[in-house]
Amino acid sequence: MRSGMNPYRPIGAEVVDVIAETPTIKTLRLRPDEKINFRPGQFIQLTVPGVGEAPFTPSSPSTWKDCMEVTVMRVGKVTEKVHQLKPGDIVGLRGPYGRGYPLEAFVGKDLIVVGGGCGFAPIRTLMYVLLDQRSRFGKLIFRGGCKSPADLLYGKEMDAWAARRDLDLLITVDQGDAGWRGPVGLVTGILDGIDIDCENGVGILCGPPVMMKFSTRKLLQLGLREENLYLSMEKNMSCGIGKCGHCRLGTYYCCKDGPVFNYTQIKNFPDIWG
Amino acid sequence: MRYISHEDFGRLLHDLERDYQVYVPCRKNIHRYYRPYAGLTDDVVIGEVRAFEPLKAFFFRARQKVAEGFSPDVVHGEDRPVCIVGAKACDLKAFAILDHVFRGHDYADPYYARAREANLIISADCTYAIDTCFCLALNVDPYPREAFDINLSPLDDGFLVETGSQKGTAIVAGRAALFADAGEQRTRDRNETRRHVIHAVQKNIEQNRIPHQDALEGAVARNYEAEIWADEAQTCVECGACNTICPTCHCFLLYDQKGKAHIERFRIWDACLLKDFARVAGGANPRPKLWMRLRNRFEKKFDFFPKVAGMYACTGCGRCISACPAKIDIRRILKRLVNHA
Repeated sequence: MRSGMNPYRPIGAEVVDVIAETPTIKTLRLRPDEKINFRPGQFIQLTVPGVGEAPFTPSSPSTWKDCMEVTVMRVGKVTEKVHQLKPGDIVGLRGPYGRGYPLEAFVGKDLIVVGGGCGFAPIRTLMYVLLDQRSRFGKLIFRGGCKSPADLLYGKEMDAWAARRDLDLLITVDQGDAGWRGPVGLVTGILDGIDIDCENGVGILCGPPVMMKFSTRKLLQLGLREENLYLSMEKNMSCGIGKCGHCRLGTYYCCKDGPVFNYTQIKNFPDIWG
Repeated sequence: MRYISHEDFGRLLHDLERDYQVYVPCRKNIHRYYRPYAGLTDDVVIGEVRAFEPLKAFFFRARQKVAEGFSPDVVHGEDRPVCIVGAKACDLKAFAILDHVFRGHDYADPYYARAREANLIISADCTYAIDTCFCLALNVDPYPREAFDINLSPLDDGFLVETGSQKGTAIVAGRAALFADAGEQRTRDRNETRRHVIHAVQKNIEQNRIPHQDALEGAVARNYEAEIWADEAQTCVECGACNTICPTCHCFLLYDQKGKAHIERFRIWDACLLKDFARVAGGANPRPKLWMRLRNRFEKKFDFFPKVAGMYACTGCGRCISACPAKIDIRRILKRLVNHA
């Protein structure tokens, strides 16, 4: 059969750079043998040869031509090996899979983007697009949370974004340190008082399940409409094409119907909100 | 309607061996297993009931190499396609689910798709029912109506032959000398056997008071928080037999291993009853308790598939009842779901 017909086959990609973000998180810059066009919010499967495959959402701007970055927290068998990769190593990539963020639905609206921990990764890609096309959107608000200042991802971007006048950015940490000047506490705590047009404002959330649950609740309390909330869901996507059954979420497969879902699609699934 | 004698049927299978690896159900103790054809020996049973192993095994292999290194090629072996003889209606019905999964969505699975195209199915009517049979409750008759190339209705002196596809028609037409006109008596005999088997399955359903599928709508969702799941899961030993033995269960695991020259990727059957099935990186498990995984199996079959594909992912074959070492009985659970207010 012809090239591209085998959905299980990865293409080769060279590791061109490894950036240590935090003690447990690294960003890998990869140069795939064939170009992978992805939209913000879509994900790829990364193969460490001989070890296995795991899903990651690219964290680099989707406009980059030759390279993409993935940000990987060391939590298991595959990610342990990912953290040992060095420039020049070869990995495999499949994808992109799933649906990304429906950017057209955001046009002309105020946007509140909420990220937590490793959930910053897909949001970084999204933020690049939003800032690239800044004039198409209303107010842009970013609220992020992480464990400690040492766990904060993308320090360079965060500093640059914090300096922008067309972006209202605030980061909170669970536990501060001597140098931390920002707020301390949960991300829901810095959602109070956001200045947003509730009638049309869009909420975009990506982070650990608990953060998603309480941040969603918070945004709804603040008056945002259910149909204007978008959540990135975490499941153990494997095949990426809706066949292997692992990432079922109610009547959806996270891999092909997500990982970005509109709140109204998933609000009745008890597993998420219970 | 055509007819073929036992003798000519042996010739037909012998002839088909040139193009196919022919498998026939053989009886061993109380079960039937598919074995490579080696003549119509006494243990070959074309009628009777479904084989021990599900038909899906010939189309969606328990273990299949799906990729080699970064090569874009699909890893097809050189083997001849398979001709499966004696497949039963409950297994054929499962193709509706498997086709939906493996041929649908944006990507077709090249391995399943090729097997569906290349393999030959010579199905057969059931000639009796065993006590776990409840196909009628799922609107499946104990004789094939669709999804076969050729169907056989066992008679005393041979088989009544029906074709169900162009491939089947061509095989019969190309070997006209092996077939004769069935005649009315044989057709009557066949219908009589079918009536007997239907009656036997109906008796099973009545005795066990198994609900008809029409009563199942919304039953899982209604009982999502019910005690039924924890109660039924008490004896479960988490072996996953109900998954692997099921003709519609399609979940699989991809894993890589080092091959001779490069990495090889395999697809093996997976089972949602197993603890780590839905576990995500870092260890969080959306279904940490066994009863949640048992519920998941029923949710998938009786809630998910009706909603996304318009059909229940159960064919009433009863294999999971026979396979379960803990005596967890799908009929009992369905009954409880329907009867529980």
